[in-house]
Amino acid sequence: MKISTKLIIFFCGVVVLFVMLALALLAQTRTVSAGYDALLAQQVRQAEAARVIQVNFKKQVQEWKDILLRGHAPDDLARYTRQFHDEESEVRSGAAALATAVQDAEARELLDQFLAAHKTMSEKYQAAYDAYIAGGFDFKVADKMVRGQDRAPTNLFDQVVQRLNEQVVASVASQERAVRAARNLALGATGGLLAGLGLVGLLTVRAILQRLGRLKAVSDRLAKADIEGLSVDISGPDEIGQFGESMKGVHAAIEELSTLATAAGQA
Amino acid sequence: MAAKLNEFYKQAAQEFGLAGRIKLAMLTKISSEKAEAAEDSPENIRIFERAIQQLRSGS
Repeated sequence: MKISTKLIIFFCGVVVLFVMLALALLAQTRTVSAGYDALLAQQVRQAEAARVIQVNFKKQVQEWKDILLRGHAPDDLARYTRQFHDEESEVRSGAAALATAVQDAEARELLDQFLAAHKTMSEKYQAAYDAYIAGGFDFKVADKMVRGQDRAPTNLFDQVVQRLNEQVVASVASQERAVRAARNLALGATGGLLAGLGLVGLLTVRAILQRLGRLKAVSDRLAKADIEGLSVDISGPDEIGQFGESMKGVHAAIEELSTLATAAGQA
Repeated sequence: MAAKLNEFYKQAAQEFGLAGRIKLAMLTKISSEKAEAAEDSPENIRIFERAIQQLRSGS
């Protein structure tokens, strides 16, 4: 194979290799990006929604306390009752939506338990509210009826938040492991391919330089007309081989000249 | 002995002089000294015939 062909093939090989590496890295980047997008779109968003519901639930309980403390004033009673029911509705619809969205069975089970506990709590709060109004705004009676009733749903929802947070942490860790593995694979493949290319290039250059060295040695001897015992043993289909063939002709011509000169000297 | 190859050298000398011998050696890559030791193989005869033709055509 000609040296020019070898060089063109080597150059094309390097270009193709780097294009393939670039495409592989691009695909890997997209995969990593898609993984994080999925994490943000689902688990992180669900954990965030759970925290919002948790805050709304605490606000609902706070509204209940405001009803008891300030409900003796009609305006405050109407205002805090409305806010209490708004928060109650927010908590219930949010938890129901979250229960439909979550894929983790344990989190879904906890949410179902929370919804049941929240419904029971709401019924008790409504009974206490009715007693509060009927009793002339006696907060002691109403408070006694629902005292500690928010504990069970609170604990259940704390577990929901904790479970979803654990899921996010586990998913992030899994994603990081996948990124590390992909990075190591990319580094290994790139390093291996570059080392292979470097080795092929080095061996090719070494072979060319060795043959050029032999050609130069022959050329040096021909330049000095030192043809005694000279053998032009350089062949091959490449440019160096072709040059070696030409050198054989020059060598034969110098030999012929030498023979003629010797014959002329003897005559 | 390569009698036929030597004949080519004599032919080149007759037709083109010393320069013809040198050109024949260059084209065949075989000097007259080596031609004497070489065989009159079909391959060698073919090379010399072609070289003589080249000399005659002046290329």
